[in-house]
Amino acid sequence: MSDLFSQPFEPDDDERAPEPGRGERRVVSVSELTSAIRGLLETGLGDVWVEGEISNCKIWNTGHMYFTLKDRGAQIRAVMYRSAVRYLKFKADDGLHVIARGRIVVYEPKGEYQLLCDHLQPHGLGARQLAFEQLKKKLQAEGLFDAARKRPLPALPGKIGVVTSLDGAAVRDIVNVIGRRHPNVHLVIRPTRVQGDGAGADIAEALRSIARVPGIDVIILARGGGSAEDLIPFNQEPVARAIAASPMPIVTGVGHEIDFTIADFVADLRAPTPSAAAEIVVAAKDELFARIDRQARRMRASMGGQIGRARARVHVLVSRRGLAAVPARLALRGRHAAELTHQLRRAATAGLARRERVFRDLRARLEAREIGRRLAAYHGRLNAAGSRLDAAMRRRHAGASATLGARAARLESLSPLAVLGRGYAVCWNEDHTTIIRSAAAVRPGDRVNVTLLEGSLACDVRSADAAHRSPQPPDQES
Amino acid sequence: MTDPKITDFESALAELDAIVKTLEDGDLSLEKSLELYERGVQLSRFCHSTLEGAERRIEILNERGEIKPAPPALGLDGDPAARK
Repeated sequence: MSDLFSQPFEPDDDERAPEPGRGERRVVSVSELTSAIRGLLETGLGDVWVEGEISNCKIWNTGHMYFTLKDRGAQIRAVMYRSAVRYLKFKADDGLHVIARGRIVVYEPKGEYQLLCDHLQPHGLGARQLAFEQLKKKLQAEGLFDAARKRPLPALPGKIGVVTSLDGAAVRDIVNVIGRRHPNVHLVIRPTRVQGDGAGADIAEALRSIARVPGIDVIILARGGGSAEDLIPFNQEPVARAIAASPMPIVTGVGHEIDFTIADFVADLRAPTPSAAAEIVVAAKDELFARIDRQARRMRASMGGQIGRARARVHVLVSRRGLAAVPARLALRGRHAAELTHQLRRAATAGLARRERVFRDLRARLEAREIGRRLAAYHGRLNAAGSRLDAAMRRRHAGASATLGARAARLESLSPLAVLGRGYAVCWNEDHTTIIRSAAAVRPGDRVNVTLLEGSLACDVRSADAAHRSPQPPDQES
Repeated sequence: MTDPKITDFESALAELDAIVKTLEDGDLSLEKSLELYERGVQLSRFCHSTLEGAERRIEILNERGEIKPAPPALGLDGDPAARK
């Protein structure tokens, strides 16, 4: 029957057209013909992907959906069974541009063919989704998503590599979070474009180059939230390959809470946002300190416990009467039992004491660490105390200055210059070596010098009367 | 007992955990316990100084493979490295 269709189809022929070749005429029934058509369409075409616009869309109460797919030149009727309709991720509506997957079926009683559609997706997003699914399937088959591939993150990363754009909020979020959780961390940022054409290749190159920096032991790959379109590079194969090939673990913090990208699947760990990625990579410094200190305390406690038990045992042994009795019974070289007991006790307690000393020293060293950390807290208080001390010192200094001022004033009042200021004068001998306090010290004709408040006078003595005494000599002035 | 060298934070932390467990479980001699204890003290000191020792740095690796200090705009409060 297939040769029926292998004839060239010539629309101009009518039924009266003579059979070419032999004059023999082969007549088939409608059923036969339809059956032949059915065979051709159903097995000949197989699965098809067809793109078109939905019209006349209707879901019957059986749950099956009937619609027409059309473009400018043609249309085809389509049906989607309830079992497939259930999995639709969008509402199929008239006017929607879609890609449908299915196969052609022929309904013989009506001589109609239609598309039996088992999958429907919006066009545009659809093409991308298709690529996403295909790549995902391929990488999954290669084992790139396997849990066994996921590596643990370092407890305390030496250097953290960050691959992201410098423009977005992502890089600031990461720097912020890491700075808050562990202030002294070494970040190396490798800027890269994260969207647009070629961004995928850029990201892959950035991942490879940051992995070459010595000391990097974990990498954050991040971008801030974006539309599905913005995340395209993170769904591209080069990025996935670069992540898989990375010698150190990679944590993704890409976009969006809900959408997983291919990069997320391949990464060693997936965080929903850049900040979350940073938090995962850097365990809080305080938590680490707390953990170490907790272990140190437990160690100290069990050591202290063991020493304590040993001490108790020694105590019990040496104070037991039986022990004192033993040497007596043995009567070793005539030594006095008490003396021997004493020696025993000394040896036992000395051994224990030695160990206790070691323990105390070690314990002090251990605690010094924690104290060292507490010191940091005291630092603040110390600073505050320091400034209070400064203020106190300034106050005291001011007080001292005032006292000094008063003293200086008194001193001033004692100064000869102050006396001169009140109108007294000082009389010197000619050589300025001796103050003349008595007229008896000079004779008429001698030369004396008189110092005034301002300047001095050279004077000749005309007469000297030693009998008169001034009522209040200048050197007793107070 | 000569202690093996303490190499990295991670293994030091793990060894400290193990020592704590041994000390808590074990019926060790006092001498042996003290040895472990001393090792534990060393480990704890190592972890502390490693945590405190690291300095904060933010650097940029450019496309030519050169590492430069990050621009000040990236360094946030209290970041001396980025502030220059």
